[in-house]
Amino acid sequence: MNSSIVISTPPHIKSKRTTKKIMLDVLIALAPAAICGIVYFLLDALILEITCVAFAVLAEFVYFFIAKGGLNVRFANRDTRELAKKIRQLKKQGQPYNEEQKQLTALRAELRKQAFAKSGNVCKKWACQFDFTSVVTGLILALIISPATHWYEAAIGAVFAIVVVKMVFGGTGKNIANPAAVGRVFMMLSFTAMTTYTAAHFGAIDGGTVAAGATYLTGPLKDGNPDAMSLLDLFLGTGLAGCIGETCKLALIVGYLYLVIRRVIKWWQPVLYIGVAGLMSVALNGFDFTLFLPYILSGGLMFGGIFMMTDYVTSPKGLYAQIVYYAVGGILTAVLRQVTPIEVVSFVIVVMNLIVPLLDNFIRRRPFGYVKEKKNKEAEK
Amino acid sequence: MKAVKGSFFFGGVHIRDNKSLSKDASIERLPEPPEVKIAMSQSLGRPAVPCVSAGDKVAKGQLIARGDGAISSDVFASISGEVTGIETLANECGNTDTFVAIRGDGEGREQYLPPLSDPSPEEIVKRVRDAGIVGLGGAGFPTAVKLTPKMKVDTFIINGAECEPYLTRDYRIMKEHTDEVVRGARYMAKALGVENIMIGIELNKPDCIEAFEKYDDIKVVALRKIYPMGGEKQLIYSATKRKVKLGQLPADAGVIVNNAATCLAVCEAVELGKPDCEAILTVSGRSIARPANVCVPVGTPISYIVEQCGGEAEAPKKAVLGGPMTGVAVKSYDLYIKKTSSGVLLLTEKEAAADEPTACLNCGLCADNCPMHLMPMNTAFYSSAGDIDNAVKLGGTMYCIECGVCEYVCPAKRPLIQAIRNTKAAVRAREKGGK
Repeated sequence: MNSSIVISTPPHIKSKRTTKKIMLDVLIALAPAAICGIVYFLLDALILEITCVAFAVLAEFVYFFIAKGGLNVRFANRDTRELAKKIRQLKKQGQPYNEEQKQLTALRAELRKQAFAKSGNVCKKWACQFDFTSVVTGLILALIISPATHWYEAAIGAVFAIVVVKMVFGGTGKNIANPAAVGRVFMMLSFTAMTTYTAAHFGAIDGGTVAAGATYLTGPLKDGNPDAMSLLDLFLGTGLAGCIGETCKLALIVGYLYLVIRRVIKWWQPVLYIGVAGLMSVALNGFDFTLFLPYILSGGLMFGGIFMMTDYVTSPKGLYAQIVYYAVGGILTAVLRQVTPIEVVSFVIVVMNLIVPLLDNFIRRRPFGYVKEKKNKEAEK
Repeated sequence: MKAVKGSFFFGGVHIRDNKSLSKDASIERLPEPPEVKIAMSQSLGRPAVPCVSAGDKVAKGQLIARGDGAISSDVFASISGEVTGIETLANECGNTDTFVAIRGDGEGREQYLPPLSDPSPEEIVKRVRDAGIVGLGGAGFPTAVKLTPKMKVDTFIINGAECEPYLTRDYRIMKEHTDEVVRGARYMAKALGVENIMIGIELNKPDCIEAFEKYDDIKVVALRKIYPMGGEKQLIYSATKRKVKLGQLPADAGVIVNNAATCLAVCEAVELGKPDCEAILTVSGRSIARPANVCVPVGTPISYIVEQCGGEAEAPKKAVLGGPMTGVAVKSYDLYIKKTSSGVLLLTEKEAAADEPTACLNCGLCADNCPMHLMPMNTAFYSSAGDIDNAVKLGGTMYCIECGVCEYVCPAKRPLIQAIRNTKAAVRAREKGGK
């Protein structure tokens, strides 16, 4: 018998899965899209990705540091102040003050040591609780902005996403809307560069700026443009104007498969959202089923559906609430896309995130073997 | 009868079962310990009242304490020897309990009840009550009470799922005592007036499924290997597609469930007249030198069992009485085996998770995997804020079976079961205060 034995409530074994591992899985799933973005948009994409991730992590660290009292340290206290006063007086009187000076230096050194130790502890705490959520947010934000965005705009967006949307509400798991989506909405409303898109440097149409109109649909196809892009180009994102990570659908599908295999998301969640959005838009355009594929392959629909709608924190928990969430999100996307030329997926995600508490409240899960309360009352009578 | 597949229900989780540690060790009878201390509260309900005093000579199987009330059970001497005293000692739950201490004399005197041949239903119920048999699945509900339901029952299910990782007691019992288990089940079915006998066995015990397929009157249900398949409600649904409604007993759904080990105890009580004074349990975990399935007298100290199984191979992080998902972690080996003990596990640091809890990610994995379809994160969230009403309303806390799945899957390692138990205790305290 030894003292190393601990006691606790059951269960005494736990799964190996941790928040950190889940977030690393998401990062791995995002990697193909990030790499494709760099291949398609070259240096622009690389700079934006690095900026977003770096500023997101930095913003989280700074907020944590300040909130946990890393700055709340003192380099002077009553003793040092009194000693300093005494020294000043002695100086004035022209008396020797070496002894006091020595004492003061020692006291100050001690205080400084304590202050640094306190700040250091806060830093250590941050390193312990760091779970890659800010990296994921930063990378997602980088992948859903236009490559024409300036790096400082991206940095402001990342800081806004982390500080205002996530940390102010209490950090990991407490944010009420997807930080990256809100960050993007914020940037879209603030900076004009967000609404200009550069076509991919890779493929049919080289270079060139496509102004206003993010969705491919609102451009050539809807106006009956004969130069409509082929489905393959849409699928691979070659020559397509769009956000950094949203152009190459192949990379997104690879990420989707990885997430499903690792059981981070359920396979039907993005399928439901994207499918409902596609079908709804087909219905809105007079049941023209040739529109289905171009519709779901264009814009940020696929990226949003796979990586942002399925965000754990801001999606409902019960099965039926989830179905409603994805289906209503899909319908909303299709309807809004029909009436506005700007890219709506991030707006839809934010709106859906905000009604999640309502969904969770009103569409409650029924326990196994649930009996309707009315029936219970009858039985009592 | 040929095995049929069990029905599917949502929830539950696959856990590496680690049963291979003790799976091949047949049940061995350990040498009698020099002294046993038998707890008076062996089952649900009030503790039994001792009817012997210090200095009395007792034989194995002799009544030493009478049950107090309807759901309390009698307690019997488990070795022959002399009562050295009636003591108050700490039990594994952190409370104290009355214990009868018996020092063995090695004479091996036995005082069993008379064996019955071809008993009537009333005789069986009486014998089960007299032999002090309790449900050996863990809760320790007196079996005689189960055998006298107030409503009409048409199905008897033997619980052979043994979904808890590490434990192999039921597996060994079903494999070595197949015939006794079946006979015990037949006795109980006869007492209930039930024709339909089923046994639910998880698919990771194919040899047991095969063994029970030989009996024509037993319907074998092959269950998916998922935790908590052996939970009463889950087992009943898998085997019969009936849902036990919230707040009702299995008997309301026309089903009585009994553990395989209980069937064996009933068979021995009827045919040999042996009272419930021995426990079969699994000693396992990677910290024990020799994992085994052992049969020991009730009241054997855990330290004795650990010693007999070769002691500690490496320093354990956790010592658990029962299974790793629902068992009780204990701090000391100076505790004594009860009728309902199903295992002693010594888990190494690697096995016993002790990660610091991090912030709740709100991922909903606990709700996804909950076999009762509850929302554990709501319970944890609201109870941490002291809002018991919302915790119960939005979390469904009062329906929780405390299987431990939510905490097992939680990626943030939140103490969810602790929160659920606190909430339940708060609700009960309030109900008491209100009335």
